[in-house]
Amino acid sequence: METVPRITVVTLALATCLASAALAESKKEYRFTVGPKANVSVDTQFGAISVKPGSYNQVIVSAVLQSDKVEVDTQKRGSRIDIASHLLAGADSQSGRVDYEVLIPPDATLNLRSSTGPLSAERLQGDLSLEGTDAVVDVHNVSNGHVHVRTMRGPVTLTDVRNGHVEISSISGDVTLKSVTGTLVQANSGSGKIFYDGDFGSGGDYKLTTHTGDIMAIVPADASADFSAHSMTGKVQNDIPLAPRHNPSPIVEGRSFFGTVGKAASKVVLRSFSGKIRLKLR
Amino acid sequence: MRCSDVERLLPEIIEGIGHPEFQAHLKACPRCAELVADLEFISSEARCLAECDEPPPRVWVNIANQLRSEGLIREPETASAGPALVLARSRRRAAWWLVPVAAAIVAAGAYQLTHHAAQPVTQQAAQPAAQQPAVQPVQPTVQQPPASQAQLAQSAPSVRSGAPSRSPESAVVSAPHAAPNLPEQAEISPPPSAEDEQFLSEVSQGAPNMRATYEDQLRAVNAEIRETQEYIKWHPGDLDARQHLMEAYQQKAMLYQMALDRIQ
Repeated sequence: METVPRITVVTLALATCLASAALAESKKEYRFTVGPKANVSVDTQFGAISVKPGSYNQVIVSAVLQSDKVEVDTQKRGSRIDIASHLLAGADSQSGRVDYEVLIPPDATLNLRSSTGPLSAERLQGDLSLEGTDAVVDVHNVSNGHVHVRTMRGPVTLTDVRNGHVEISSISGDVTLKSVTGTLVQANSGSGKIFYDGDFGSGGDYKLTTHTGDIMAIVPADASADFSAHSMTGKVQNDIPLAPRHNPSPIVEGRSFFGTVGKAASKVVLRSFSGKIRLKLR
Repeated sequence: MRCSDVERLLPEIIEGIGHPEFQAHLKACPRCAELVADLEFISSEARCLAECDEPPPRVWVNIANQLRSEGLIREPETASAGPALVLARSRRRAAWWLVPVAAAIVAAGAYQLTHHAAQPVTQQAAQPAAQQPAVQPVQPTVQQPPASQAQLAQSAPSVRSGAPSRSPESAVVSAPHAAPNLPEQAEISPPPSAEDEQFLSEVSQGAPNMRATYEDQLRAVNAEIRETQEYIKWHPGDLDARQHLMEAYQQKAMLYQMALDRIQ
């Protein structure tokens, strides 16, 4: 007999807690009409930002605020939309969290910033700039634009980025690039690892650099690239047959390799200070 | 009045056009109060900037200190005789110093990159042949430092202190296909520079919960810089190493910049 009331009490308490949490959380939606080549910025201290393509003349922002200790400020100037979380007194990483889901014109320029993240952008064709201290950054299915990413220790993953101008810089975050091609693809991480899986396109400059982090590149047999790899104090390993070419600097056995595959359409430079470098056939 | 109203009316407010609800809102909203204070500060400082032909002395002092610490310049410290920039009153204003410091970091890295081999080679040339390292900078095949050096620096967040006072004997006994033996050094972190200390102090005030994270990252970046500097000491002609050093400096500048963004 005693267990029934106890269960009831616990259930009621739990329901009360959940209801309180649900009441504290609020969802807001903002809609903006924009012209061509819109510029959208979303900046939040704490919380996720997810951006997908919507209609060509509208920006729709859905924001989930975790408490009343944070507000969302919006500003529209022409086709420039600025969205920012505004922490009020007493806000912390939980109560100050705002999660955004944003629909923007596919060709819009996008700037995202969140300390905690995650940050994601997909199926866009404009220029993208993403910055997050610890944020996990994920960009996929984008094309024809600049993709600039900066993190302190957040990992960065780019997938299916075509004809892009890609610049990634992280202090200690890992960088993963899958099917990423473009005129310039540049990734730099201090202690993070860099992983590239793709064919290095046809005619781009690829520079992957770490200090202590390892670099691994996996390429298909039909890739067309001119490879240079050099680790100052780490080891390099090449598992694919490279045609020799004139080397501007002497080969250091076990520390560097040079050579081409296919017609050497793209230039690929893999550099590390003490991290290992490995080039592998898919 | 809401924050958005304040932002809309800012131009008028800065120009001194009063709004009755404005002061009440400023008392209730620290963010807007800080924003207005900053804009007023910018407005007043901008008048001074118009009279300035060059960056404040602090910028040059920072660059000079950085280059001096790298041993790239040795002239008497004349630049430091100038007055240091007085930090502004508020925390947010005080964080502005990070911008020139970050620029100075990159400038120092760029200087090292472009003025490669100038100073170290001169030093080597002044040494008797027998006391020089057994390797030459233009021979990459004999310039690899021992793996233990890199592994040590890689694995330890605290790295060896920077400038080694390497004995001539240790250079002579270096193996021809290995880097010169490095001196025995304590595995201790050197004390942070004044800029780093101030940087961390700003982070402590602006984002106290992130202090440990930024400190770790700063320590890691500094370790990379010192490790590369150590390498360059023995391979002064290695442009690739200098490029790595430049990149390490850029990462440090990026860390400063990200912290600045966060603090603001």
